[in-house]
Amino acid sequence: MKLFNKCLIVISAILTIFVCTDCATKGIKGEQELPLVTEKSVTPLVGSYEVNRYLFKNGLRLLVIEDHSSPTFAYQTWFRVGSRDEKKGYTGLAHLFEHMMFKETKNLKDGEFDKILESEGVEGENAFTSRDYTAYIQELPSEKLDLIARLEAERMVNLVINEQAFKTEREVVQNERRYRNENNPDGLMYQEIFGLAFTTHSYHWPVIGYQEDLDRMTAKDALDFYKAHYNPNNAVIIVTGDVVPANVARTVAKYYGALEPQPATPTKVEPEPLQKNVRRQQLKLKIQVEKLLMGYHVPEVSHDDIPAINVLQMVLTGGKSSRLYRALVSTGIASSVESYGMEDRDPSLFVISANMQKNKKATEAESVILRTFERLSKETVPQQELERAKNRVNFNFFENLDGNNERAYFIGHYESIANGFELGLEQQKRIQSVSAADLQFIIKRYFDQTQRVVITGVKGEEEKNK
Amino acid sequence: MKKHLSLTSLFIAILISPAYTSAIEVAFETDQSLPIVYLNIAVKAGAVTDLEGKSGLTNFLGEMLLRGTTKRNKEQIDIALDQIGATLEVETRAEALILRGAVLASQLNRFLEITGEIITSPSFPENEIRKLKSEIISSIMEERGRDSALAMRRFTQFMFGTHPYGKPVLGKIKDVQSITRQQLLAHYNRIIHDQLLLVIGSGDTAANQIDLWAAKIANERPSPPDKSIASILVSKPIDSNSKRLQLIDKPERTQTQINLGQVGVRMTDPMFFPLYLGNHAFGGGSFSARLMVEIRVKRGWSYGANSFFRHGRQPRSWQVHLFPAAKDTPNALAHTLKMIEELREKGISQEEFAFAKKSLINSAGFLFNTPKKRVENKLLERTLDLPDGFMKSYGPELQKVQLSDVNSTIKHFFKPESLAISVLCTAKDIKDALLKAAGVAAEKIEIWPYTAE
Repeated sequence: MKLFNKCLIVISAILTIFVCTDCATKGIKGEQELPLVTEKSVTPLVGSYEVNRYLFKNGLRLLVIEDHSSPTFAYQTWFRVGSRDEKKGYTGLAHLFEHMMFKETKNLKDGEFDKILESEGVEGENAFTSRDYTAYIQELPSEKLDLIARLEAERMVNLVINEQAFKTEREVVQNERRYRNENNPDGLMYQEIFGLAFTTHSYHWPVIGYQEDLDRMTAKDALDFYKAHYNPNNAVIIVTGDVVPANVARTVAKYYGALEPQPATPTKVEPEPLQKNVRRQQLKLKIQVEKLLMGYHVPEVSHDDIPAINVLQMVLTGGKSSRLYRALVSTGIASSVESYGMEDRDPSLFVISANMQKNKKATEAESVILRTFERLSKETVPQQELERAKNRVNFNFFENLDGNNERAYFIGHYESIANGFELGLEQQKRIQSVSAADLQFIIKRYFDQTQRVVITGVKGEEEKNK
Repeated sequence: MKKHLSLTSLFIAILISPAYTSAIEVAFETDQSLPIVYLNIAVKAGAVTDLEGKSGLTNFLGEMLLRGTTKRNKEQIDIALDQIGATLEVETRAEALILRGAVLASQLNRFLEITGEIITSPSFPENEIRKLKSEIISSIMEERGRDSALAMRRFTQFMFGTHPYGKPVLGKIKDVQSITRQQLLAHYNRIIHDQLLLVIGSGDTAANQIDLWAAKIANERPSPPDKSIASILVSKPIDSNSKRLQLIDKPERTQTQINLGQVGVRMTDPMFFPLYLGNHAFGGGSFSARLMVEIRVKRGWSYGANSFFRHGRQPRSWQVHLFPAAKDTPNALAHTLKMIEELREKGISQEEFAFAKKSLINSAGFLFNTPKKRVENKLLERTLDLPDGFMKSYGPELQKVQLSDVNSTIKHFFKPESLAISVLCTAKDIKDALLKAAGVAAEKIEIWPYTAE
C-alpha cells in the first residue's frame, strides 16, 4: 500500500455482498457509436444506481456508475495480479511493484504524478495489494476526468524503473513490513496462519513478502513483473460519481484505446492438498494478554456455499448476541472476538480471532469455539437467530455500497476475482434463502475440527514477569 | 423511496405534545440513496470530564448505557439490536461521548425505541459493571501489544501531563478498577441531559421523525438546576519551558514510534488557516510535503511521516508522527527536529505556498461532499463550538491567506525549544543516540517500561 493509514491486505470478508441473475441487462441507449468499444451493457446495482459496462477492443474493461449527488467522482484501476501470482523467492514483488507505480514515467518526472493530482485537489490517492489483485484509487472534482485518465494510462504502459528509486522504495517497504508484521502481533499471527494452512498454494506467503526475498529483488524483477501483468487486457477501470457514462467511455478510449494488448501471463498456482490433521503453532510475543487465531479452509469466492458461510459468520460473531460473543466475551474469557471469511479467487480461509481477558488462556477460548461448532453441527439454528444473522448481512451489504469509493471497490473486487460484479449481487440475493439446514451442511463440510489451523499468541518469558 | 408512516412512528407522534419543544439540538439530513439510517447521539462532554483518579469514567458510562435498562438486561438489548440488523457503538473523545448508531431504514422505529430507552433509563447493574471492568482492563493491556496505539496514548499523557487533555480515554487500569455504580449514576446525571445532548444523522427517513424522537428524550432528561453544567470547558494547556524526551521501553523493537509535538491552535483562531496551509506544506499528508520527501521519498527511513493538528475547544496539539527502523531512528529524529527549526526560521517558500494553497482549495469540496461527511462536520462543529458550516469556509478562508501570513504565523506559533518528544523503542539500544539527536539534557529524559501507566 502506498500510504500507511489503510489496510494492506483487503479483507474481502467485509464485502458480504450480492448478484442478480434476473437483473435486466440492456444495451446503452441514446449513445452514439463509441470508438473501440466492442460490448456495452447496463445492469442495475442497488437503489437507483446502474452499472454501465464497456469492453474495449484491447481487452480493457470499464464500468461506470453515474451519481450526481456531489460534484466529484472516484476513479479506480484494478489489475488482476496479486501475491498469488508471485513465485517462490520473489514474495512481496506485487506489493513492492505497487509502490513503484508512483515513480517516474516516460513523460512524468519522479514525484510529478502525485504533484499534479494533489495540486488539482485529489482526495484519498492510494493503492493496495491483496492476494488476488492490485488497485490504484483516488477521488477528484468532476472536471478532472480527462486528467486522471491521461495520467493513469501513462503509468499503465510508460513506467520507468530506476535502480536507485527501486532501492529506496524497497527500504520503505521493509519499513512497512516492520510496521505491519514484525512489530505487530496481529500481523505476525495472520502471516503465520496462512503460512501454516497453505503448503503448496501461493496463499502460503504474506502479501508484503518475506524480508530475505525483498532483500534480493532488483529493478529488473520489477520491470519484468510490470511487462507481464500491467496491460489493458489485465485491467479494470471503475468510475463512479458525477460523470456521464458515454463521456467516460470516450475519454477512456482516447487515452487507453491505442494501448496494445499483451499476451496473457497465466500464473501456475499449485492446488492445495486436503489438510488432514490439526496444525498449530504457538508464538511468544511482546504482549500482555493472549491472542487466538483459528482458520478453516473454505471455498473460492464464486462457490455456491459462500452465502451460507457469510450467514454463519454472523451467527458466530455478528453483534453482541452472536454465539461466540456470548460464549467468550460475556463469560469473561475474551475481550473481543471477530471472524472473517476471506473471499478469494482460490479456496482460502475462514478466520476467527480473539483477544483474551487478563489471565485467560487462548486454549480456553479454542475449547469454547470447538464446543460452539459441535453444538451448531447437531442443533438447528432457530429461525429468529437466522433472521438476525441475515439482517446483519443485509445491513453490511448496503453500508459497503455507501459512497463512490465503496461502490467502486465492490465492483473492482468482484470484477477482479470473479470476472463480473454480478456475482456479488447474486451472492447477496442468495443470502435470503439460506436455511438452517444449509448452515448445518457447511459446518460439517468446512468446519471439520480435525482440519483446523490454530495460532496462539502468548507472552514471551519477559512479559510473564510483568 | 416512497415513505409510509408506520404504526410505531404514529405512536411516537401521538405521545408527543405539540406544545413541547426539544432542548436537544437535532441536525438530520435526509438521504434516500440507500435504505439505511445513521444516527449519532452525542454528549458534549468527553474524557476531560472524568473525575480525578477516575480516568476512563466517561467511556465506562457510555459502555454501561448499553448494558441494561429498567426494562431490559444486556442480553435483551443485544438481541433486540441484532434482530433488526442495527449497530450501536460507543466512541469517546476528549470532549464528546458519542453513541454511533446505524440501522436499515425499515427498522428505524424499533431502533429509536431501544435507543431512547438506553439513554433515558439505564440501570447500571453491578454484575455488568464487574464484567465491563475486566473487558476494559484487558483491552488496555491488549493495547500494549500494538506499538502505534500505545505510543500515541503515552505521548498524549506525556505532552499534557496533568491537564485534562492528557487523560487516556479508556482510563488507567487502577482508575477503571475503582469505578463504582454510585459514581456512574452521578456522572450520568451530570452529563446526560438535554443541554449537553445532540442528535446528528443522515439517511433514508424524514427529519421530522428524528425531531419528535429527540423531543421525547429531552422531556425525560431535562438539565439539572445548576445551569453551569451546560458547558464544560477545560483550561488552556501550556507548553513546557524546555524540550523533553520520553522513552517507552519495549524489548526487541526493530522499528520505533516517534511522536513529538506542542500545544496547538483552536480552529477559530485567526492563526488557524495560515497554520493549516503551512502544515500542509510541511507534513500534512501530501506526498509532496517536506517531511514525506525528506524522510520517506529521499531516504526510505519511514513508511509514513506526517504532521497534523488535533483539535479541541481549547488549543490541543500539533504533532509529528513517524516510525523508522530502529537503526535509523536517531538520524530520523535529528533530521525532523532540524526541519522544524528551519520551518520556524525560514517559513515555507513561494513555490510550496502556491502548491499547498492550490491543492487545499481544489480539494476543499471533499470536506463536505457526502451526507456522512456532513454528519461528521456537524458533530465537530457542535462539540468544538465551531460556527455553522465551518468546513464549508475552508475554501474561501484559504483563498484569503497570503505567504506573508503563513510565515509570520509559523514564526510566532512553532516552539522547537519546547517540544515534547516521545519514542517507543528498545531503550538500551539507542538511548544515548536519541539524547544526542533530541538535543535534550540527560536530566530531561524519562524512561518508562511499556507496561507502566
